[in-house]
Amino acid sequence: MDKPDPAQQRINMQTHELLSPAEHKKQIEFQNEAVVHLHALYNYALHITMNPDDAEDLVQDTYLKAYRFFNSFERGTNCKAWLFKILKNNYINIFRKNSKEPGKVDYDLIKDFYHSIKDTRRDTTEADSDYFHTMLHEEVYQALLSLPEEFREVIQLCDIEGFTYEEIANMVDSPIGTVRSRLFRGRKLLRAQLEGYARTNGFTTDTDQ
Amino acid sequence: MNCNEALLLISAAVDGELSFTEKQQFLLHISKCEGCYGEFDDAQRTKMIIKERVVRFKAPQTLINSIMQLTSLSPKETF
Repeated sequence: MDKPDPAQQRINMQTHELLSPAEHKKQIEFQNEAVVHLHALYNYALHITMNPDDAEDLVQDTYLKAYRFFNSFERGTNCKAWLFKILKNNYINIFRKNSKEPGKVDYDLIKDFYHSIKDTRRDTTEADSDYFHTMLHEEVYQALLSLPEEFREVIQLCDIEGFTYEEIANMVDSPIGTVRSRLFRGRKLLRAQLEGYARTNGFTTDTDQ
Repeated sequence: MNCNEALLLISAAVDGELSFTEKQQFLLHISKCEGCYGEFDDAQRTKMIIKERVVRFKAPQTLINSIMQLTSLSPKETF
């Protein structure tokens, strides 16, 4: 076995220590501003790819790009929105490049997801008499997935991720008025789906009474 | 404000995106119009159900580790 070259070792150590103060500052700022949104990004990536491996790759790639271009992030604006925009662009590029067909949903995969978390997540609103509250996570999610992508996307960004209309408009490259009307129509479609589930499960809705 | 104008504002009302004046006019309208109030209520409840019922997943530890590593590498290792 080769003995490590002390000179080379010294160079390696120096390189490691030679992290410039500016680079060091960037790292700390990046961790505070960007890395804190890791769970939200993974979650969204999982919802759009429906595949844990793809989601991981997508998030990793997003952070690599975000770190490289962190200087172009406008300080004081919403970093989470900036990251989501990068992730979305990445997603579009990857699916175009591989000519994969986006929006294909593996329903068995969703079932598995919900199966694995079924017992760990219990809602406290279970006793609520509102029929909505007796619905299963899985049904609500299936209803969401049944929507055309343009509606599902704005609902996810607004209701799940809590972005403002302005942030969403920027992410989906559409005017705020479009975001507004997509949310309205999307929620109406979703409502109809949920009422359909409620009816097949034997719950009466307000309109039946 | 008439019903058509109110309907256009429903999602913005649900999401707290109305201006002060819009909000006042909208609230006044739905206090008198049952149909628009129903639409507003439905939209609001639909938003709540999505918020409460869609499960959030945590990123796997391997991913967390690799992202953390990304921001603690020396310049030589990064490039």
